[in-house]
Amino acid sequence: MMLTYKLALRNIFRNTRRTILTVMLIGFSLAALILTDAVTSGMIKVMVESVTKTISGEAQIHKKGFRENLDIDLYLENSSTIEGQLAADDRVKAYSPRVIAAGMISSSYNVSSGAVYGVDGEQEATVSKLKEAIVEGEYLSDSPTEILIGRPMAELLEIGLGDRIVITLAEADTGELSQALFRVSGVFFFGMREFDENLVFVNIDKAREVVNIDNASHEIALLFHDTDIAASDTQAVLSELNQGDIEALDWRSLFPEITSVLEMSGFSSVIIGAILFLLASLGVINSMFMSIYERIYEFGVAKAIGTKPRQLLQLILFEGFLIALISCAFGIAVGGSLGLYYEINGIPLGEFEFAGVALSNAIPTVLSINQFTHFPIYVILLTLTATLYPARFAAKIVPSEALQKSL
Amino acid sequence: MVKKRRLVLLLIFLFPGALCAESVTNNTALDVIKLIDDMEELYRGDASKAEITMRVETPYYKRSMKMESINLGTEKAFIRILSPKKERGVSTLKIDKEMWNYLPKINKVIKVPPSLMMGSWMGSDFTNDDLVKQTTLTEEYNLELAETDDTYIINLTPRAQTVTVWGRIEYTISRADRIPLSQGFYDDKGDLIRSLVFKDPKMFQGRLIPSVMEMIPLNKEGHKTVIVYDALDFSPSGVNDSIFSLRNLRKRF
Amino acid sequence: MLMWKLAFRNIFRQRRRSILTALSMTGGYVLCVLSFSMTEGSYNNVIKIFTEDHTGDIQIHSEDYLTRPKIHKNIDDNADVERVLNQSEFVRSYTKRVFSPGLAYAGNENTPVKIVGIDPDLESETSRLADKVKQGVYFNNQPNDDGYFTAMIGVSAAASLQLNIGDELILISQGADGSIANDIYIIGAIVGSRSSWDSATVYLPLNAAHDFLSLYGKSHQYALVLNDSADVIAATQSIQAQLPAFSVSPWMVVEETFYKTMQADKEGNLFGLFIIVFIVFIGVLNTVLMSVLERTHEFGVLKAIGSRPATITVMILLETTLLAFLSVVAGIILAIPIIYWFANVGFAMPEPVDVGGIAFQHMKGEFSLEVFLLPLLFILSFAIVVAILPGIRAAKVLPTEAMRG
Repeated sequence: MMLTYKLALRNIFRNTRRTILTVMLIGFSLAALILTDAVTSGMIKVMVESVTKTISGEAQIHKKGFRENLDIDLYLENSSTIEGQLAADDRVKAYSPRVIAAGMISSSYNVSSGAVYGVDGEQEATVSKLKEAIVEGEYLSDSPTEILIGRPMAELLEIGLGDRIVITLAEADTGELSQALFRVSGVFFFGMREFDENLVFVNIDKAREVVNIDNASHEIALLFHDTDIAASDTQAVLSELNQGDIEALDWRSLFPEITSVLEMSGFSSVIIGAILFLLASLGVINSMFMSIYERIYEFGVAKAIGTKPRQLLQLILFEGFLIALISCAFGIAVGGSLGLYYEINGIPLGEFEFAGVALSNAIPTVLSINQFTHFPIYVILLTLTATLYPARFAAKIVPSEALQKSL
Repeated sequence: MVKKRRLVLLLIFLFPGALCAESVTNNTALDVIKLIDDMEELYRGDASKAEITMRVETPYYKRSMKMESINLGTEKAFIRILSPKKERGVSTLKIDKEMWNYLPKINKVIKVPPSLMMGSWMGSDFTNDDLVKQTTLTEEYNLELAETDDTYIINLTPRAQTVTVWGRIEYTISRADRIPLSQGFYDDKGDLIRSLVFKDPKMFQGRLIPSVMEMIPLNKEGHKTVIVYDALDFSPSGVNDSIFSLRNLRKRF
Repeated sequence: MLMWKLAFRNIFRQRRRSILTALSMTGGYVLCVLSFSMTEGSYNNVIKIFTEDHTGDIQIHSEDYLTRPKIHKNIDDNADVERVLNQSEFVRSYTKRVFSPGLAYAGNENTPVKIVGIDPDLESETSRLADKVKQGVYFNNQPNDDGYFTAMIGVSAAASLQLNIGDELILISQGADGSIANDIYIIGAIVGSRSSWDSATVYLPLNAAHDFLSLYGKSHQYALVLNDSADVIAATQSIQAQLPAFSVSPWMVVEETFYKTMQADKEGNLFGLFIIVFIVFIGVLNTVLMSVLERTHEFGVLKAIGSRPATITVMILLETTLLAFLSVVAGIILAIPIIYWFANVGFAMPEPVDVGGIAFQHMKGEFSLEVFLLPLLFILSFAIVVAILPGIRAAKVLPTEAMRG
């Protein structure tokens, strides 16, 4: 065994250039695979997080039917009970109750329609990115006249910090007209049109007052400790909440378009990967054959003096295995370092909108253990498989014919 | 694109009795609150009928409408469009904070939802909201008086809890005639955003009242609404609660 | 001629090696073709769908109506627009439309809708609206016996209002002259699907819309379909030059987000292909180098008898290119049936995917000269590039050293 190993090692470096090229062939393929996977994962992560972490949360609880028309009358009366449940549940990382009402937003200069979100500043900051999205002024503290407005809406209403805002909406249940005065305390910018142009945020107690619901809410957004939304624990939380007229859904059901994009990407990555390796294998086979041809006289001698075919097979396979190992090291080095670089700096992709989500920033790649364990294993297996054909050829060499070639 | 009109001016529009000069006291030391209150007192219990021409100018169209307006107290108003022919019969009923429109072409009464409350009334520079809201000026605003030789200038600044988009309203009244000359609506920075000017005082049943009101939004070029009182009756016959009902709103006219 | 013969013969000297190399190039070629076909096909399909469905290849508006719609930004019927469009050699058909936001009332329900006034005949020639009638009948512009005009309504709006064919619909909006626009219509058809762009839309005949909005003789938008969609840029320039007073926008501007996304995706795809072919050619390089190195003796002899270095380089380039060419031919033969299937059948996705605001349901490939030609040029160029270095190396061989080894 040891002998075979030593021979194989020495054989590989007999034609260094060829070995290098072969290593590059396999190594770059691995690096390509790692990077493609990393970029795709990065894109997906950005897409999912732009939905879940910006405002929507990983799951949401509503009254059944609320999502169709955002009917202000469909509020969760026992919101505090549900919140208590969530606080006690250690699978839930954070939650934030919200009052949601459509209304008119007026300034001294102009008027616009919008959706008013009443939130608890502290809790909201644990679930969404609202606090980080503030570009001017301050985030919500507890003052009832505070209101946060998106930059495009602030421009439309021609207002700045401290200016008056009057919100006009219809109360829940009675539909009676209700108005309230606010002062712009902060301006936010998420970089996502639907949010920036249409939403305003106020303190939840004030919102409840204006809408005239005590202690109720229209929506509770959640984040879980386990980032895998399909984890059984997480799903258990949701099914426990899904009772009667209350509906608890994770982001996959709330945003089905994104889910289908994910499936599609996963599907095509597998295909591309398979094809790539198939092509690389051809190069490997070629390479191995070339190395065998060069040594055909040698093999002839070896067999003539009694080496068993099996041993030659082993030798070639071993050579293939070693090349695979070196290639993996090379591929991991290249793929890993590029991946790391782009994880920090992000790949600039220009402006993009996919499944309703605008992606205009550089996307950081996501490296995962899989890429460095599973992929190299596939590479080694594939290389070995590719080496089989040449190895069998070597094993079957007829000494008398081989000794005639004087290559 | 609608500007919120200050209620004060609307109340004047709908309740012209307020413009009557007679009931204001003639003391030299002017009690401002009483001045404003007296003007408001005039609306209470007043019933009136008016015939009005409203002209709306925008950079894209000019419109002229004739309408008839019936009022009872501050809570109830009934306005009916008489011309142009296309809109003859369109009516608006206001009771307290609620408002309905009747559209004869489709024979339907539409309750004005909150989302349309900030919308303009009949395409003018007034909003539905202006017609509906009531405030007791002296309770929701702080008053400050300045005087010149011929005018009283009353500055109304909203109290902290008052729900309004205006930072200040400046109300200019003629000393001699005790009729309003203008109202200015300012934002918090002190910029004049809207201006309401009262012109052409005439005698209506013995009372001197400006017959023309011109509303100009200063941040929208080319927009103007002019209201002209063609007739005013302070003791109208047959004005009772039954007029201010949905049934009456629907009645064929 | 001799060169060609030599090159050909050299390739087949090492059959297995050449075949393996060729296979990898064929594989690379087929992959490129498939990928191009898919992206071109899917996108072209989607573009065709929305340009034929409602956008048209080009749209004409007044001022910046496209980005900031206001009822008064309209185009007069008597303006040159129709004359220019009628005379243009690019235009196959056009339609004109009027838009307004409004409130729809039916029974006790109401819902906000987008009101679109269309000329029934022009519209059916220019867009797919007539094919999207799910219930009822495509309308005309005549009032019925009772004097009511017919309206067509989208699925979501119909559902919110619980409307059926023959029911009454009330529309309220603001007229162009500031008056309250209000009228009653009879529902003649329900169009589209829940996810189509017009599911919250009410269509009115143009004359009825003019009446409703007090906007006579004007439109907000002209949408045109061209004889050949590929001419879109040329057509836009031609028409814009003749109508300087209006904004003529090709579909790329009308559906800007989609266009940008598509470009980004195509570029990403191209980049990915580049990487794959690059990797394939590392293998090819290996082969070429090997074949060059084992013939060092031969080259030495050639040079010794007077061949110029350039000749040797060219020979090697020729060999590689020829091999690449043969691989591509094999690839074309393989790919044709696959692409053909793709272009005509394609495969459907379970749930429509939203790309830049347009829904994608079918993945269809494109079958065109381009799809086969581009990868061919790609592969051939790579082959030449890869062969250059070994070729030069071979040419520099010193006859004396070469013949010794």
